Amino acid sequence: MRRTTKFAAVLAAGILALTACGSDDSNEPESGGDDTSSAAPTSDIKVGMAYDVGGRGDQSFNDSAAAGLDQAKEEGLVSDETQESEAEDGEAESAREERLRTFADAGYDPIIAVGFAYASSVGKVSEEYPDVHFAIIDDQSLADSANVASLVFAEEQGSFLVGAAAALKSKTGHIGFVGGVEVPLIGKFQAGYEAGAKAVNPDIKIDVTYLTQPPDFSGFGDPAKGKTAAQGMFDGGADVVYHAAGGSGGGVFEAASEAGEGNWAIGVDSDQYNTADPSVKDVILTSMLKNVNVAVYNYLKEVSSGTFPTGVNTYDLSVDGVGYSTSGGFVDDITDQLDDYKQQIIDGKITVPTEPAK
Amino acid sequence: MSTAPATAEPAASSSDLAVRLRGIGKRFPGVIANDDINIDVRRGTIHAIVGENGAGKSTLMKILYGVQAPDSGTIEVNGSEVNLHSPSDAIKVGVGMVFQHFMLADNLTVLENVVLGAEGLHGIGGKARAEIQRISDAYGLGIQPDRLVEELGVGARQRVEILKVLYRGARIIILDEPTAVLVPQEVDELFGNLRELKAEGLSVIFISHKLDEVLSVADEITVIRRGTTVRTVTDTAGVTARQLAELMVGSELPSPSTEASTVTDQVLLRVRDLSLPSDDGRPLLDSISFEIHRGEVLGIAGVEGNGQAELVESIMGMRPTARGLVEVDGVDFSARTTRERREDGIGYIPEDRHRHGLLLDSPLWENRMLGHQSRPPSVKHGLIDKGAARADTQRIIEEYDVRTPGPDVLARALSGGNQQKLIVGREMSSDPTLLIAAHPTRGVDVGAQAAIWQHIKDARRRGLAVLLISADLDELIGLSDRIEVILRGSFVGTFDPDDVTPERLGSAMTGAGEGK
Amino acid sequence: MGLGLASAALALLAAFAITSLVLLAAGDPVGDVWAQLLKWPEQRNWANIINNACTLYLSALAVAVGFRMNLFNIGVDGQYRVAAFTAAVVAGEAWLPGYLNTAFAIICAMAVGAVWAGIAGVLRASRGVSEVISTIMLNFIATYLVAYLLREAAVKEEGSNQIATKEIPEGSWIPGIPFGDFEIYGFVVIAILCGVAFWFVLNRTRFGFDLRATGQSSTAAIASGINVKRMTLGAMMISGAVAGLVGLPIIFGESHSYGSTFQSGLGFAGIAVALLGRNHPVGIALGALLFAYLDEQSNPLQILVGVSPQIVAITQGVIVLTVVISYELVRRYGLRLEQREVARALNAERTAKAEEVSA
Repeated sequence: MRRTTKFAAVLAAGILALTACGSDDSNEPESGGDDTSSAAPTSDIKVGMAYDVGGRGDQSFNDSAAAGLDQAKEEGLVSDETQESEAEDGEAESAREERLRTFADAGYDPIIAVGFAYASSVGKVSEEYPDVHFAIIDDQSLADSANVASLVFAEEQGSFLVGAAAALKSKTGHIGFVGGVEVPLIGKFQAGYEAGAKAVNPDIKIDVTYLTQPPDFSGFGDPAKGKTAAQGMFDGGADVVYHAAGGSGGGVFEAASEAGEGNWAIGVDSDQYNTADPSVKDVILTSMLKNVNVAVYNYLKEVSSGTFPTGVNTYDLSVDGVGYSTSGGFVDDITDQLDDYKQQIIDGKITVPTEPAK
Repeated sequence: MSTAPATAEPAASSSDLAVRLRGIGKRFPGVIANDDINIDVRRGTIHAIVGENGAGKSTLMKILYGVQAPDSGTIEVNGSEVNLHSPSDAIKVGVGMVFQHFMLADNLTVLENVVLGAEGLHGIGGKARAEIQRISDAYGLGIQPDRLVEELGVGARQRVEILKVLYRGARIIILDEPTAVLVPQEVDELFGNLRELKAEGLSVIFISHKLDEVLSVADEITVIRRGTTVRTVTDTAGVTARQLAELMVGSELPSPSTEASTVTDQVLLRVRDLSLPSDDGRPLLDSISFEIHRGEVLGIAGVEGNGQAELVESIMGMRPTARGLVEVDGVDFSARTTRERREDGIGYIPEDRHRHGLLLDSPLWENRMLGHQSRPPSVKHGLIDKGAARADTQRIIEEYDVRTPGPDVLARALSGGNQQKLIVGREMSSDPTLLIAAHPTRGVDVGAQAAIWQHIKDARRRGLAVLLISADLDELIGLSDRIEVILRGSFVGTFDPDDVTPERLGSAMTGAGEGK
Repeated sequence: MGLGLASAALALLAAFAITSLVLLAAGDPVGDVWAQLLKWPEQRNWANIINNACTLYLSALAVAVGFRMNLFNIGVDGQYRVAAFTAAVVAGEAWLPGYLNTAFAIICAMAVGAVWAGIAGVLRASRGVSEVISTIMLNFIATYLVAYLLREAAVKEEGSNQIATKEIPEGSWIPGIPFGDFEIYGFVVIAILCGVAFWFVLNRTRFGFDLRATGQSSTAAIASGINVKRMTLGAMMISGAVAGLVGLPIIFGESHSYGSTFQSGLGFAGIAVALLGRNHPVGIALGALLFAYLDEQSNPLQILVGVSPQIVAITQGVIVLTVVISYELVRRYGLRLEQREVARALNAERTAKAEEVSA
């Protein structure tokens, strides 16, 4: 029921957006072959969106991708007949493949696979459907496929900046990192964070913990676990904790809030100062922005202009694919230093590691 | 059918009747448990219902207590017809039941046990305690509300059960085989309590098959046979136990009389210093030694729970903590597994056929294999020979008169007597040299009982050694060549069945005969 | 048997009705959902269904071995993951050539599964620890153990965020069986053989009889001379060995390695399928196909009909419940029929005797 009402709401929002766009002629989609006589700016690009576990509504990664799609829809870049589908925990490889095939058979093109779990499925199905276009987020193993675009992020670069912020703000010289699930992707967050913190304070102490191990992916959606882990760190003397744990992050914020004045948490993926529960937003020092929405939107924008991107599209600091947020104003005093690091990374003066030091 | 019709419709004005049953019938698949039962229980009396095991007494009481609904007939309580769909309906009209197996929580106090489920009556605190004390005093039950049930003896627990029923407002109390678990002194106490109840105007329905007890306590006696009321005796002084027994079995008593002795001088089973420790220190079996010869039946008499089951299970190798020597035909069996003992010649008729003797949800032919799954004809080279097993089951069905449409019927579908005949047939079919028979005719109808006795006698004549455990003293005396009495895990006396009476055995069983 | 079919039909009908009510309550398009659910799948989907059913079948067999002995092996989930990981590593290392490598890896997987389950068996037999508790704990341990070992053993593919074991050499893959234009796992043959072996061992061997007898009544089993402790350990280990096969169709037929996205939860699905199939090898096969069929509908339901895929999980749960209930009802009815038959036989005899007497 939740899903259907939500779907209906999206549909309604889409229709509203459509009518709104209708009066805004400047935003005419550039895509060609548009032979409908409708007054509204329409597109015949039907997007199939295959989410990872959690789907739309996870307040994290999937939602960010959904936001990019919504923006593209609002602007009329793509048809409202987009359809979405989400993965189930621990599902069979064939289920992921079938999801992509079902989209392809039903005429959806392009098909966006959200999450690295889709890598081999996209690899297989993209070969079966050479005329359909695919995009995959967080994976670049299919860089050579003619009909696959790989949208990847330099999470380590963004994490470097928030790591530096953590070290600059820490009074105890002791900070923490809570990873959701111990997979290589989250390792990138950890590696960047540690490198950034050490760039500021080589002697800083960093606690690291992961909530679950694959194939148990509940670490991305279990606030209770996140809270326990972060509480342990705050009790142990850490005063800034960065989480890369999706939905579990809410617990990290709570722990920071309960730890009292002078303790901070750092958000991830989106600007969590704006999305987290209002009661805890005052402890969110900053958030490492991983702008999946930007990547999805840019991809769809290019598609609507008639070209299907392929190969690897890296979203790093230089294109603002990753970054840090300033909402709340808690890092206003150190933005100069952070921006300096940012420039050094963009200029290649600092190379951020992608794997945590063993 | 050839049984005589129930005599003398009990005539009484319904006004002084606590319970009036008319035409009660209940059919279970495979068995007619009750058929045209008519009973009048007068207020302020102890009314005994006697009958053989399996005659339908328990079913009747379950009907009266609302556990089961009758297929036909009417129940009147205090003059008005009632429909009892559950025990709580029964309690509402003042009918309470004390089951043979107590339903008490050991780790709670008497008070807590009594109020459990009846919290609405007098709460759970001081009012309830006062009420319990009042009932206890009124009927001389001598119950202390705050003692833990686990500290109480069997007799006291039974009084707690009775108090539970009274507490819930019962005026008609059913007791199902209340003396089965009691020693004689406790039986006397119980009867004292029952007389108190009677004096206070309550009615007691007392189910038993121990005729002497019934005669000593009951005001009226109804005899049930094969599910139907045979007669109600209102003058208990003018009837003997033997007459009652003949009413119960419907003809002259079949007597399990012994035939000429077949005892040989060859020792088949030799048990030396068999002991079985228990957790609480008091041994369950205390250094038991005895021998059984070929062709000899050794009967073990004892009040239930004095080590009979443990003795049997130790000899069968089912008790890993048992110590001592068990030798069969000169071979030391002490270190053998149960299966090896069975393979090497011990047949075993277990006391509780449902728990130890049968797979209720398996067909008869699979039950034929149970305990014999390592031997032909059922199993060859580790593979089941279904054809042979079925054929041999068919043989048992015919030879032992097991009433069943065929060997593919589930064991559960058979009546108790037929299940037992199947077990006896199974255990005899492997030509054992030693048969351990625990209560071989318990719950079996008269015909089957005679047949089972005959099978045991025949086997004895062929040189079988038999260890017979039974609560039926007539059976013990009739079948055994020698009787040992077991009390608290020890043998306390040897009797020759030719010159022993059930009375003498009975006093030895309870320890009264000690020191003689 | 006719009654068995009646029970299944009754259950499916009830499940149909209940699921429809759930859909109605959720405001979902009932008609469209059933149209999609009852649409004959395409060949490609059938291949998927059979492949999925293959793993579910093995999992349910493993569970059923325990069930038949009244052991609740919740741990199939952990057992199959530990075993599949072992098989992937062993086969990936390719110490032996070609199919010898395959066979060796399969044996290793079964052995590891058996040992993993055997831990719970030993605890149960020697210390009386409930196998439910111990296997749940072992599932946790399995998860972390495999996660740890996977990180140690993993080869990382450039540009991928997935980690997986070394790929198995192509000569050791188990080739698929052509199925129209598609292929199904070659392992399906092994699964079928397992089903036949399951039936044979349980119904035609003394060991199977001992196992079933222990499951029905452990007291009667002891009295009959069965060493119940040894049977407990044996049944657990056999259950674990079969569980060891669960992940192998995927390892040898599709993924050729064990990675972080390896299918999980098959052990729990196996419990449901074993219940659904009444622990009978043919029933389990039907149950596995039904579950796989419903799983296959999850994507089209979401994409083409627009309802939550959870409806599939609900339907599966409802079916298991209705099957269990209807089986119990039909079983009781059957027993009553049988008892009536016994009574009739008995009464006929009595009447005959009575006539003799009166004659």
